[in-house]
Amino acid sequence: MSAWSFYLSTLAVYFGVDVLSGISLNLQYGYAGVVNLAYIIFQSVGAYVAAATALGPDTGAAAFQHYIFAANLPFPVPLVLATLAGGALAGIVGLFSLRRMRRDYQGAIMLIVSLIALQVVTADVSLFNGSNGLTGVPKPLSWLPLSPLAYQWVYAGWVCIFCIAVYLLVRWLSRSPWGRALKAMRDQEEAAGALGLNITVLRLQVFVVGGLIAGLSGGLLVEYIGAWSPGAWGYAETFVIFTAIFVGGLGNYRGVVLGVLLVPVVFLQVTQFLPQIGYPGLMDSLEWVVIGLLFMLCLLVRPRGLLPERKPLAAEGSLPFEATGLLPYLGRRFGKSAA
Amino acid sequence: MLGTLVSAIAFGIVLASVIAIAAMGFTIQFGLTNVLNLSYGGIMTIGGFAAYLVTSHGLSAWYGLGVGAVAGAIVTLLVGRGIFTMYARRGARVFEMMMVTLGLGLVIDYGLQALSRNNVYEFTVLQSAPFRLGPIILTPIQVIIIGIGLALFAGLEALLRLTRIGKALRAMAADPALARACGIRTRQIIVLTWLLSGALCGLAGVVYIINSQSVGYTTGELFLPLVIAAAILGGAGSPAGAVLASLLMGVVTQVVAAYGGSLYSTAAGFGVLVIVLLSRPSAVLTKQANEELTLA
Amino acid sequence: MGLSHAVSERIVPKPANAPLPVLVAEDVFVSYGGVTAVAGMSLEVRPGEAIGLIGPNGAGKSSFLAALAGQNKVVKGRVLLGGTEITQLPSYQRARLGLARTFQMTSEFAGMTTFENLLTAGMGVEGAALSNVILRHRANRAQEIGAARRAWAVLQRFDATHIANLYGRELSGGQRRLVEIMRCLMRSPKVLLLDEPMVGVAPHLVARLVRDLKSLRDDGIALVIVEHALEVVRELADRVNVMALGRLIASGTYDEVVRDESVQAAYLG
Repeated sequence: MSAWSFYLSTLAVYFGVDVLSGISLNLQYGYAGVVNLAYIIFQSVGAYVAAATALGPDTGAAAFQHYIFAANLPFPVPLVLATLAGGALAGIVGLFSLRRMRRDYQGAIMLIVSLIALQVVTADVSLFNGSNGLTGVPKPLSWLPLSPLAYQWVYAGWVCIFCIAVYLLVRWLSRSPWGRALKAMRDQEEAAGALGLNITVLRLQVFVVGGLIAGLSGGLLVEYIGAWSPGAWGYAETFVIFTAIFVGGLGNYRGVVLGVLLVPVVFLQVTQFLPQIGYPGLMDSLEWVVIGLLFMLCLLVRPRGLLPERKPLAAEGSLPFEATGLLPYLGRRFGKSAA
Repeated sequence: MLGTLVSAIAFGIVLASVIAIAAMGFTIQFGLTNVLNLSYGGIMTIGGFAAYLVTSHGLSAWYGLGVGAVAGAIVTLLVGRGIFTMYARRGARVFEMMMVTLGLGLVIDYGLQALSRNNVYEFTVLQSAPFRLGPIILTPIQVIIIGIGLALFAGLEALLRLTRIGKALRAMAADPALARACGIRTRQIIVLTWLLSGALCGLAGVVYIINSQSVGYTTGELFLPLVIAAAILGGAGSPAGAVLASLLMGVVTQVVAAYGGSLYSTAAGFGVLVIVLLSRPSAVLTKQANEELTLA
Repeated sequence: MGLSHAVSERIVPKPANAPLPVLVAEDVFVSYGGVTAVAGMSLEVRPGEAIGLIGPNGAGKSSFLAALAGQNKVVKGRVLLGGTEITQLPSYQRARLGLARTFQMTSEFAGMTTFENLLTAGMGVEGAALSNVILRHRANRAQEIGAARRAWAVLQRFDATHIANLYGRELSGGQRRLVEIMRCLMRSPKVLLLDEPMVGVAPHLVARLVRDLKSLRDDGIALVIVEHALEVVRELADRVNVMALGRLIASGTYDEVVRDESVQAAYLG
């Protein structure tokens, strides 16, 4: 029983982290049309920074590892730094490589940037310990008197708090005038500029906001796993999250939750329970084949995803997203008009 | 000091030949269909595996080249006419198409991993003793590779400039709508495009494994960005441009490898691709036409 | 050149107390891809005036309009908006100074409703700024409500409230063009540049759009209209400029211009 509980709590943590990733990617691609195929490097920089700033100087017990940012900062500072690192890297990458250009070129650039980052981090051992990565990252909530299983669930709850907060925040931003400006940029860049919007700034802003969320997700994940190495981040990881948000539905964040539930969680975990056929490792290869096929199928059969966008209805005297729902109706019926 | 440089340049020319064969195919495919096909590397690997299968049953490596080309051509045709056309019909735009090719690339790469049981096979079919040319040490096989590259380039240029079909290809690459209006049978030209670029892709895969002397499911993976960089740097649809750009990419990566180590040389090659994509005026989204696919 | 000298003599003389021109282009040159699309084109529009820009295909009309809007780079010459030089300004800054435009292919935001289209235009730059949305939340909300009211007023003025909640991609050609124009109006522009506004609009809707554009002109907005449909130009334009091969070859009222021999030669020859 406790093995099952362990497994589910681990799954819950991964689910939460992937939801954060999905929210970031959906904001960037679904709402703003920015193709961030390098997502994984922003999650990774968050993980590395959280790890390095919590591990302490690279001497003594950790002497076999080499890394920068050595510090022994108390919780929750590494997590905050991880978030900021994600945003900072996004700012740098965005300034350099986000341009007005056809989206497939932009996507290809982002893919290559992530490959370059992978090469550089693997090659330069002094940066983040090269291909061996960092291990022994201290668990943040370990000062709580908990059994290992209880700790798992508490950590899952901890991640959940962030998920809910980020979900509500990003959804609010997406429905705000800023979010509408993003959608305008996505639909017709030139015309959005002709309305006075500074497209370059908008693009960079959404990239950095997405980067902050990515950094946070990386910090949360590394503080759970305790280790992080280049093997954990290839372009294919980003592809899984993209598949998730496409399957769930791009125009909304409920779709993100559904997509992440279906793709990384249900879909990829189902293989654990199937009988092992063929040689060891076959199932892993087939998982990737299935992800590729799933994405292709989704784009062919249901390009809008499973959950359609909720249409923002407006009526006289009210704003979009106010006109629908029970509360606004009651407000109009029994209260003052929304003026 | 100079010896290292000259030797690196020589290796660069060999690598450039391999890149050039792949880049010529890619540039024809991309120039005519406007699809940024990220599964191209996977199809190269298929060509390599096909050659390996043939030669491991005793046939000579020259048959391997032929089989690789045929395999590449057939798979590309099936993928292009069968798969990509389905998405184009549903109004897929260039980015969505690229993501489809990325997904297809995953299917091919990991399908090959499954089929090959994640093994890497030796491909030492054409071993021979190296010879010296001053500071340069090359094997005859590497010279043959350069020869194959040059021959293919000459043949391709002859096709494009001297034959009617070649003229039709160039017309379609320049302006598909106009070509159609002039009565060019665009559907047939596109089929030819898939076959021709696929053959070059498969051939490139075989040449690659001849040079690296091994074949595994990751064969095409890290190679593809160099190919794309060369194709786009040379101008989409221009084989001559692809060859020149391949020379640049090959020499640059080998010189960086000689002085900085191989991991940084890969990053340098990728860096060239990023700079190329950022600076090409065709990358700027100015016209609607830039987003259209020509698949039929 | 002799031709432009003759043309400038025929431009209608200004009455003594006419308002200053709100948009001025002086000797503008535009070239790209090695081709000179516009070779020394000038233009003047006053508030409440509508200028038609016609000419054979390839004359450079759309390139010139795009240069006025900031989409094309001006290699020589000047553009002034309300007296301010805007020649090197990017299009979003020209928009903030009071320039609005439509595009040859309708540029409605397909993934948003008509109302959201108008709201986006009405909120403008300050309203959409991330810092304002987060930090000055109450003022931003008030601004949004104000913009929503204006959007409804615009929809009612153009009898378009029934399309308020349709996505841009659900609209017909004429409706899309109307949304584009309404969107421009939300910015209270001084100048409206229209690039072939009647393309894709069903014939029975053209008359309605012409009427709508006339009311904008009567409100004091200056219009520059590139158009192939000459009946529209005749209805709408106070003055017509004719372009051929990147230059101005005639200017005057519609009737004067269609009788001009050089214009007829340009269209036929």
